[in-house]
Order: sequence, then structure tokens, then C-alpha cells
Amino acid sequence: MRADECRIWRERIGALVLGQLDGDERTATEAHLDGCPECRAEAAALAPVAAMLSRADPERLTPAPAPPAYLGDRIARRIAAERRVARRRHVRLGLALGAVAAAATAAVLIAVVASGPSSAPSETVAFRALPNDASAQATLEPRPWGTAVNVRVRGFRPGTLCTVWLRLANGVKVTAGSFRYVYDGESDEAGLSAAVAPGDATEIGLRAGSKTFVAPLPPDSAATSSVQ
Amino acid sequence: MTHDVGVREAYAAHSGELYGFAMRSLEDPGLAEEAVQDTFLRAWRAADRFDPELGSLRTWLFAILRNVIIDLGRARATRPTLGGELPDVGHEPFEDVLLNWQVEEALRRIGEQHRRVLVETYLRGRPYAEVAAELGVPEGTIKSRVYYGLRALRNALEEMGYEG
Repeated sequence: MRADECRIWRERIGALVLGQLDGDERTATEAHLDGCPECRAEAAALAPVAAMLSRADPERLTPAPAPPAYLGDRIARRIAAERRVARRRHVRLGLALGAVAAAATAAVLIAVVASGPSSAPSETVAFRALPNDASAQATLEPRPWGTAVNVRVRGFRPGTLCTVWLRLANGVKVTAGSFRYVYDGESDEAGLSAAVAPGDATEIGLRAGSKTFVAPLPPDSAATSSVQ
Repeated sequence: MTHDVGVREAYAAHSGELYGFAMRSLEDPGLAEEAVQDTFLRAWRAADRFDPELGSLRTWLFAILRNVIIDLGRARATRPTLGGELPDVGHEPFEDVLLNWQVEEALRRIGEQHRRVLVETYLRGRPYAEVAAELGVPEGTIKSRVYYGLRALRNALEEMGYEG
């Protein structure tokens, strides 16, 4: 309707909703809106925009800073690193414990479970029925400074000194820490740490008392290997 | 989001806005990078929980960024400071900062002529006559640009997902 006539009024709607029209012009524009549903609708559509506009700080309108170019690659690398360890890995190692455990024969089960975001809950499978099971389970999680190694052992003689390390491909042993096994029914997990990325370690070792147990960390995270 | 490609696409589409907002909120390039990185890492970890039927990817990423910024603010509040004043995080309600930033971002996206008249006549409250003289155009042109500027601003806000 009356497109040409409305055009003149319409261009005043912006100033109207921003409260920029003075006396007569404002009255005249409002009078037009009263009789013109289209222009009224346009004013109603722009009013919330005018309200929003007041939120802007004119000093902050310089071009928004762009993220640095390296950030995208850095995030991609972090995700790739997490994915590598996120896949659940089981490494089984069966050994006679002898002097370590009170029982004559027991077994150590070292399950390396990367508790990543997309992995299923960790799962440890006993591979041999034993009268007195000893078990050790390590969880490796990537950290900015290296690897968090949480070790949970069971079935050792109380007071047994345990040391844990990760071995690199070049043979270098990086200590993760030591603890004494004292099972009090609750806090039987030792939080250790090693200054290597989980992906760089090829082997995890546990020395309990006079016995040493090692389990390879497969480079292909999806692989499951077992050593008897 | 579960594949690298998904993350890369999401990053290409939204990292600029997320970073811009993180900078607006945190006022520190290092913290803003950290916030954007955490946002995409958390998004990747929680990709299973993203439901496009509940909202856009952009909205979801901003919701994650919101939590990241709140966590950063908490961490900083408990960290001892050495001498220098750190900018306050979260002294303005987050939703307010987000809305303010959205309008500023929308203003950046509209044409220079439109932005200029909205900023000068409305945000800086200068008379039409003064702005018209400065730009060398009639006052009626300023009025018309204010109108088309508001329309452009509405479109820009809608493109950014604002439903006012």
C-alpha cells in the first residue's frame, strides 16, 4: 500500500525507535503509524534492536582480535594426543610373585588403562584363578607436564616398597615415583607422575619388594597385547 | 565433532567469535587462547552430548566457553597475585557481557556508513546536524542511514543466532 508515501515515514522509524525525533516530526510519524499496520510492524521489529544497541560500547568497535594462527593446530594436536591415549589398552603380564605376596603363588596383572574421554570404563580381567591374587593396575593420563600415573595394587604384603617407572624407546627410564603398599580398605591408589608424554613411553615397570614387573605400552593404542 | 574434520570445521566457523568474546571477557590474549583451546577440547570430549535439535553448534560452543571462563575466573581468584592488578573476571554478569559483545560484533559486521551513523548519533549522542556536516551529507541522509543501519543490525544479530 502507498509504497512511496510509506517510504518517507519508514525512514523515520529508525530515528523514532532510537528516540531521536523531536516534537512535531515525532507526532507526525506516530500518527502515520497509528494508521499504517505495516509501518507499525516495522517499528515493533526494530524496537528491540534499538534496545540492544544501547549495550554496545563505542570504544570497543575496533576490529575484533583474531585468534593467533597457531591456535587451531595446537588444538588439533592436543586432541590427537588425547585420542591416542583415550583408546583403552590392556597389557597383561602374568608372573609368579613368590617373595612379594604372602601366598606361594600369585599373579600380577598390570592393566594399562588410559581413562580418556571416549573410552569405555576400565576393565580388568583376571586371567588365572589363584589362591591369593595380587594385582596391579596403572592408569596413564596425559598432562601438560607429562603423564599422571595412578597405580593401584592389591595383595602385596603390607609395607612393600613399590617403585614405578616409564621407559622410553631409547631405553631411558623415567621414574614415576614410589610408595609403600598399605591397604586400608579405601585409599589404595598411589598418584604418581612422570615427565614424559604417555605416547613416548614404551614400557611401564613396577618393582615391588625384590620383584620387578614390566608391561609394554603398545605404540598402537588400539592394540591389545599380552605377555605371559 | 567426533572426528578431527568436525573439530576443524567447527574451529574454522566459530573460533573467531569465541576468541573475540573471550578477549572481551578476559582482556588477556593468553587467557583467551587458553579459553578457546579448552572450549574445543571440552567440546570434543563431550561430542556425544551435542544434540543439534536442542540448539546450534554455535550456541553449544558458547555455553561451553561460558563454563570455561567461569572456571578460569575461579582459578585466578584463588591464585596469589604478584603486584600487578589482574583484570576482574565475572564482575559483570556473564549474560550481560555476552549480549554486549554480540551487539558490538553485529555492529562490526554491518557497513561502515551504517555503523558510523549509529555510533555517532546514538551511542555518542551527537546531533544529526553535526554528524551530517562532518560527513558532508544532508541530515535526511543521516536519518535514512540510521533506519537502514538498524535493519542491517537486526539481520546481523539474527545471523548470529540472537532471537530478540
